[in-house]
Amino acid sequence: MSTGTTRRGFLRGTALITVGGGVAASGCKTTALESEGTHAPAVEAEGTSVDTVPLECEVNGQKEALRVGGDRLALDVLRDDLELRGAKRSCGHGACGACTVQVDGRPVVSCLMPAVALHGRSVTTVEGLAKGSDGLHPVQRAFIGEDALQCGFCTSGFVVESAAFYDRWRKEKGTAVPSDEEIAEALSGHLCRCGAYLSIYRAVAAACRGDYDEPGGEGPRYEARDKVTGAAQYTVDVALPQMAHAKILRSPYAAAELRSLDWSAALDVPGVLGVVELLNAPASVRYVGQEILAIAAETEEIAARALSAVELDWRIKNHVLSIEAATAEDAPVVFPRGEARRSPANHSEGPALPMVWRGNVRGPGKLFSHRRGLARWTGRDGNHKAEVQGRYRTQTQVHTCLEPHACVARWGTSGGLEVWMSTQAVRHMAEDLAERFGLKVSEVEVHADHIGGGFGSKATLRPEAIAAVELARVTLRPVRLVLDRREEMTVAGLRPQVRTDLRAALGKADDLAIKARAYGDGGAAIGSATTPLMRIMYPQSRLDLQDFDVTTNTPPGCPFRGPGGPSAFFALESSIDELAHTTGDDPIELRRRWNQNDARRRVYDWAEALPAWKDRSEPQHDRGRYRRGVGLSAAVWLYLTMPGSRVKLDAGPGGIVVSTATQDIGTGTRSLLADVVASGLGIERSRVTVEIGSSRAVHGPMSAGSRTASTVGPAAEDALRLLKEELLEVAQTKLRMRRAWAVPEGVRDSVRFLSWAELLDESPVITVVGKRRRDRGGFFAPPIDGLAVGRYLSAAVQVSQVEVDILLGKVRVLQSWTGLSVGRIYNPLLARSQVEGGLIQGMSYALYEERRLDPRRGFLVTAGLEDYRIAGIGDCGPIHVEFIPGGFENVEGGGVGIGELSTLTPLPTIANAVWHATGWRPRRMPLRPDRVLEGLNS
Amino acid sequence: MIRLPTTIEAALEHSTTHDVRAGGTDIQERRNHGRRRRPVLDLRDIPGLDKIERDGEGLKIGARVRLAELAEDPWVRERYPALAKGAASLGNPQIRAVATLGGNLLQAPRCAYYRDPEVQCLKSGGSECWARQGDHLWHVCFATRPCIAPHASTMGMVLAAYDATVSVAGGAARSVEELYDIGDTLRDHTLDEGVLLTHINLPRPWSAEQGAYMRATSRARAEWALVEVVVRLRLDRWESIVDARVAVGAVANTPLRLREVERLLIGNVVNEPLFVAAGEKATEGAQPLEDTAYKVELLRASVFDALNAAVVSPPSPLIDAPDEDGSEGESKGPAK
Repeated sequence: MSTGTTRRGFLRGTALITVGGGVAASGCKTTALESEGTHAPAVEAEGTSVDTVPLECEVNGQKEALRVGGDRLALDVLRDDLELRGAKRSCGHGACGACTVQVDGRPVVSCLMPAVALHGRSVTTVEGLAKGSDGLHPVQRAFIGEDALQCGFCTSGFVVESAAFYDRWRKEKGTAVPSDEEIAEALSGHLCRCGAYLSIYRAVAAACRGDYDEPGGEGPRYEARDKVTGAAQYTVDVALPQMAHAKILRSPYAAAELRSLDWSAALDVPGVLGVVELLNAPASVRYVGQEILAIAAETEEIAARALSAVELDWRIKNHVLSIEAATAEDAPVVFPRGEARRSPANHSEGPALPMVWRGNVRGPGKLFSHRRGLARWTGRDGNHKAEVQGRYRTQTQVHTCLEPHACVARWGTSGGLEVWMSTQAVRHMAEDLAERFGLKVSEVEVHADHIGGGFGSKATLRPEAIAAVELARVTLRPVRLVLDRREEMTVAGLRPQVRTDLRAALGKADDLAIKARAYGDGGAAIGSATTPLMRIMYPQSRLDLQDFDVTTNTPPGCPFRGPGGPSAFFALESSIDELAHTTGDDPIELRRRWNQNDARRRVYDWAEALPAWKDRSEPQHDRGRYRRGVGLSAAVWLYLTMPGSRVKLDAGPGGIVVSTATQDIGTGTRSLLADVVASGLGIERSRVTVEIGSSRAVHGPMSAGSRTASTVGPAAEDALRLLKEELLEVAQTKLRMRRAWAVPEGVRDSVRFLSWAELLDESPVITVVGKRRRDRGGFFAPPIDGLAVGRYLSAAVQVSQVEVDILLGKVRVLQSWTGLSVGRIYNPLLARSQVEGGLIQGMSYALYEERRLDPRRGFLVTAGLEDYRIAGIGDCGPIHVEFIPGGFENVEGGGVGIGELSTLTPLPTIANAVWHATGWRPRRMPLRPDRVLEGLNS
Repeated sequence: MIRLPTTIEAALEHSTTHDVRAGGTDIQERRNHGRRRRPVLDLRDIPGLDKIERDGEGLKIGARVRLAELAEDPWVRERYPALAKGAASLGNPQIRAVATLGGNLLQAPRCAYYRDPEVQCLKSGGSECWARQGDHLWHVCFATRPCIAPHASTMGMVLAAYDATVSVAGGAARSVEELYDIGDTLRDHTLDEGVLLTHINLPRPWSAEQGAYMRATSRARAEWALVEVVVRLRLDRWESIVDARVAVGAVANTPLRLREVERLLIGNVVNEPLFVAAGEKATEGAQPLEDTAYKVELLRASVFDALNAAVVSPPSPLIDAPDEDGSEGESKGPAK
């Protein structure tokens, strides 16, 4: 078996488990345990402690009578006993709001509220909100109409809270429109990782105004109705008969040798069904949280309890937890020579090229340097107009998917494997599982109907999935494994922290020279790629670029939306801003001189004309406590696509089914497919059924690397072309229009015209498979494992206005404007949602997010969503997004991806705006109050 | 295991061996992570603990009153404005709909080390404070006790500024300040194991109180305070401060009532230099940790902000003919 590293290319990295990859050993117990549910204590009352007490309440208008234990939570009862799974468990401590339901009309935190508190009360869940004949509450209609959702995992919580707000508002204030402040206050207990906040503002305001009082249209997002009603099924919602539950035992040490382990006592715990080792002892562990083994049991609690019965023999070793410690003399080495150095995971989107290691440092990677000698020379001899330098630091960012990584696995009686997985890549997971478990791909089916956030962290086959599949095999039961929030925040993915030393010089001829040294700490993973983006951004400049990996005894990084981007553009675009202000040059004009790329030219032209930029005040204009400033930065991103991907149409009088083995992680893939087909045929979208989220369909792309739209859009159009050829033939043969020809709306001959819809009604079922073709002029690089790097770069410019409270050290982005050049946009409303989300994620990273580890032992301190802080709705001011038309004519479909491009500019834009406001140039993220105060005082 | 006693007496019989639960938002979080494992004694069925009642001149609030109800109660909002503001500002709306006033007062700290089931800290049976040696960015800046976790109770701080007292079944009633007079111990409060906090008692409201609550956070909303401040002022018609209460939270291991600051304010006319001086005075005695010096700055600014917010806030109703000793006074308004 391979080492777990696949060659499939970008964004695959490794499915880390252990060197050697295999599941080491497993055991199971065949004696089935008596199932629960037989306890009916005789004594009910207060006198004695009892296991369970009666709970009578009304749920969505129905009387329920149950028995509950003391630690059962309202959420458990709703999800598990009553099978109302619209309310989600996400953070588990009341910070995210995904579990919100109404009790007597008031939204409550059901993940902390004891179930017994529901006694005698009336509960309304998202499933029971409906008021109208269309089965929807006005707020649900508004969320659909304004596209106030993306992945949808937080949506039921937002909807339940907004509905309560709406009901009260309408009663008290009629159709007055609430302010953003009022909406933010009401929704302050809800977090949306996709960043749908601005359309949530719009939706709540519009509903209160009365815009959605009556049933109406279907809205831009294909699956929105399922997401606002709680009907959408996520992996965590899958419940199969006889399903067992698994938990993973993890290393408590940052560096240690696991000499041996003995799980026989754990297997003897009543209710335990099976054990699987995930580490071949003796083995090294390299971070707190590393997987050791997994146990399946009748319940999650039993599995958790059994973990403590596992006996482990450790030899604790010295560890390194920071770049500084890892690069010190005589530092303990995380990956010593030899085999171990082939095992680290890869957190970049590119392949990890072979490089030299020195201790914990791997590199330099310097392939992207350009006229390197000249760059060095410029930096030294003083023959230039200006020179700036700085050390920039970006912190570890955690993906923080609101749906944790989750997997449910079931083996069929005939040996086939069926897996539900919260994944960005159903097809690739099926292939990887087939390879790992010795099956044909056709014997594996991976489902992901809906995915509660991915952002790069759900694109590989991960230990929890492998554990679930293996445990299902040994226990002969379906097995569910869902990470809890602490696990999710510890090991489920992170963006490495990066320290970049950058020197930039502006020559006499306004030419640019850059020397950059970036050290990326991806924990027990490699793949640092900060400086290559500088080459892609300013390819004609003199560039002396080196990237290093620093490995530490901390959890491994994995690709995160725009890998390497935030650190690269923060250092680069801050330096450019500093250069411009040093020389008095116009920041846009300067950038324009270094690059004539069309997409760049379009966004620069747009930004120059922007009033917020044009009419900005002089730097450090405000002298009072609250200081406002305006900052600008630019960014570019690669365009990836998967030529050869397919989209299948089954068309006939009953409608059209569109299918491909891809998935919708909230980016709008379903909607795009439905729109392309419906508009291409001039039919109602309701006649189109999109079937994605299963690996069984024709080969489709993973949702990563901003590639999905540019892959499935053209493939769907190709399928349409084939379908129309078939329909023309139907007309010519079956309908006796022998000389018919095709026109855009249908077919005609000299006598009559038939629309595509009319033709479909007359046609037998036609199946066609379209293909994503090569771009005109080919690609920058030939496809590797199906993935091609396109010849074009997308571009973005963002202008932000910030306000700094110099007494409380608080930075707030008041408003921002972003122009993007990406060519054709398939669905403007959904594209705007995605871009707003990327910008909000970037802002959140710039201002709040920071994974913090205990500095002595390396375990996670920010293990929940109250300590790991992502932006809330109240942190988001207006965001203006403009898709600048033009370009990309040679790209099949005419457009490239936006997912990653949209998250690159916030760091430098905000930093530049803070400088503009205060004269202090931030070089370390996030801009916490203590850092801002320290910076302003320095 | 669970008990649902219907009287205080029945509850007291088991309160030493059970985890007492009101709203559950704090205790369940700890139980869910295995921090607490004793059987549950749920106060749900004990009558009388969920009411806000006029009690003579003052107010008697049951321990099980939900924070959202307190924040929305018209009488509280009118007569005890800073109390209502504090109750409306903590946690988030769906937490406030479940969490109770008694639970808020007696909750455990939010220190990540203390909450981590794998860690033994000073408070959870270990021999060292992990935060002091480790990550303490959000910890106290008055590091005068062995545990450096900031006290988490916003309401404890607010009630200290209202000279409130608590009724205790099985133990002595005490002022809120006494409730937190824990000395150098590692306790969260001074209630002994097994006693039950049943009511919170507020003295008669001030006439024309101007109250403010301020919370410094990194994000806009719904975040544990970095620093929080409550201010109550009573001004005469010449804008001279007749009476003042100032308390601060999230900076020390218990809520702090700042009597020195109150003394500085009383008798002076409202002006900016006075408030600046008050902010400065509030930081006296601060002993920041390596990473918490910024909280001293936030404290200075937040006290200043809270005072400014108080003087522009609408005063609570005048109480007719208040006696000099405050013993007699006709309160108008709806009786609860």
